Amino acid sequence: MEKLDRLGWADGLNVVAYGVRIGVRTNRPEVLERVAALLPPGSRPAAGPVSDRIVSVLVGGPDPGRNVRRFHLLYSDALMLARTHDLEEALGRLADHLQLYVAEAAPRRVFVHAGVVGWRGRAIVLPGVSYSGKSTLVAALVAAGATYYSDEYAVLDGRGRVHPFPRALQSRAHGGTRSIDPEALGGAGTDPLPVRLVAALRYSPRARWRPRRLTAGAGVLEMLAHAVPARGRPREVLATLRRVASVAPVITGGRAEAAEAAQRLLATLDGAVGVTR
Amino acid sequence: MTRKVTWAPPRRARRSDLVVEEVGGETLVYDLERHRAHCLSATAAWVWRHCDGKSTAAELARRLSRKTGREVGEDVVGVALHRLARARLLDGAAPAAEGRTLASRRELLRKAALIGGLSVLSIAAPSAGQAATCITRAACEALVNGNPTCAGQPCCDVAGKFCRSQGCGQTCCCHV
Repeated sequence: MEKLDRLGWADGLNVVAYGVRIGVRTNRPEVLERVAALLPPGSRPAAGPVSDRIVSVLVGGPDPGRNVRRFHLLYSDALMLARTHDLEEALGRLADHLQLYVAEAAPRRVFVHAGVVGWRGRAIVLPGVSYSGKSTLVAALVAAGATYYSDEYAVLDGRGRVHPFPRALQSRAHGGTRSIDPEALGGAGTDPLPVRLVAALRYSPRARWRPRRLTAGAGVLEMLAHAVPARGRPREVLATLRRVASVAPVITGGRAEAAEAAQRLLATLDGAVGVTR
Repeated sequence: MTRKVTWAPPRRARRSDLVVEEVGGETLVYDLERHRAHCLSATAAWVWRHCDGKSTAAELARRLSRKTGREVGEDVVGVALHRLARARLLDGAAPAAEGRTLASRRELLRKAALIGGLSVLSIAAPSAGQAATCITRAACEALVNGNPTCAGQPCCDVAGKFCRSQGCGQTCCCHV
């Protein structure tokens, strides 16, 4: 770390996101603007110079004096995260790393890998693994009138409420990923909402809508399986998830078309449609 | 169909390195040593709490019968003990099963259902990286090299590797 500190850093920024203080420094000031756009949502300038984590972006590229191309290097504290000739790749790793670090280290918050929307003052949380169709379902719910909160993390507090994590919605299509700004989705929610439905649904083109309601305990395990700080802070995670499962039904099953599932979920939340136990 | 079983000597419930919470009549147990979480049904949790290292399966069955008002066989308690031991919630090794007549699995499950079930659900708690967004190897390799979306996302099915553009030829690949 001392060796890194001795390198010539041209510019940097200090931000706080969900109570986690992050410092970013780089040898090329022009890169800092791009870095700022990759910070976790909700990041705001920090008051002091102290950081929980320092990320260093050492931009390489062609060396004018010699006939060599320097690597772009990315460090998290003293740990090297990336060494590549592709700056996009280094910055992508930076964005992923910071999001995950905040999700793991945020004090008094439990981050669960899940999509979240708000509906009439209540929240629907959609936990699931990557490629289970969370973002598609979130987009369909927003199209049906729900408010966008997140397609990546449900940020739960000790009272069992969910806070927004309004990063750009990542829509996978035709072998690529398209980012959709929350503004294009009608804006993201700003206030924490009580969770009133947790739906762990998995996309399957031939699935019939037959969700099963889990017991509260099984519901906690379902959410725990996607909780980022599960191993680091199990006491806090278990207590928070227990609070959520004691007031919000947890359902699981397959779903086919997102638009149909969205309508069913909203009807379930409104109490118009029952779920088998 | 029946099989012969013997329930092992009395067992003591493990108390160390566990976080215990209750929700809706069930008991949640987080194993800090193995990073596994368990959800015990009310009856399984009752059996677990009463494993004091002295009470035999027969004694536990008698006490459980009195509590539930239904006849509970030693074999039913034995199943609960076996499940608890398999979840590493009892001290010592898993109980052996030999020597007595045990009802069929279906019959046992029917008996267990009458007293609220004996389920012990278990999962492995994810590490932070496992709970994060990742890209499948197939999806990564479907990206044309140079595509800005191929920017170092963690690969789901190849631990410790990232979807990279460098050193991968025409398409991106999962690489360290």
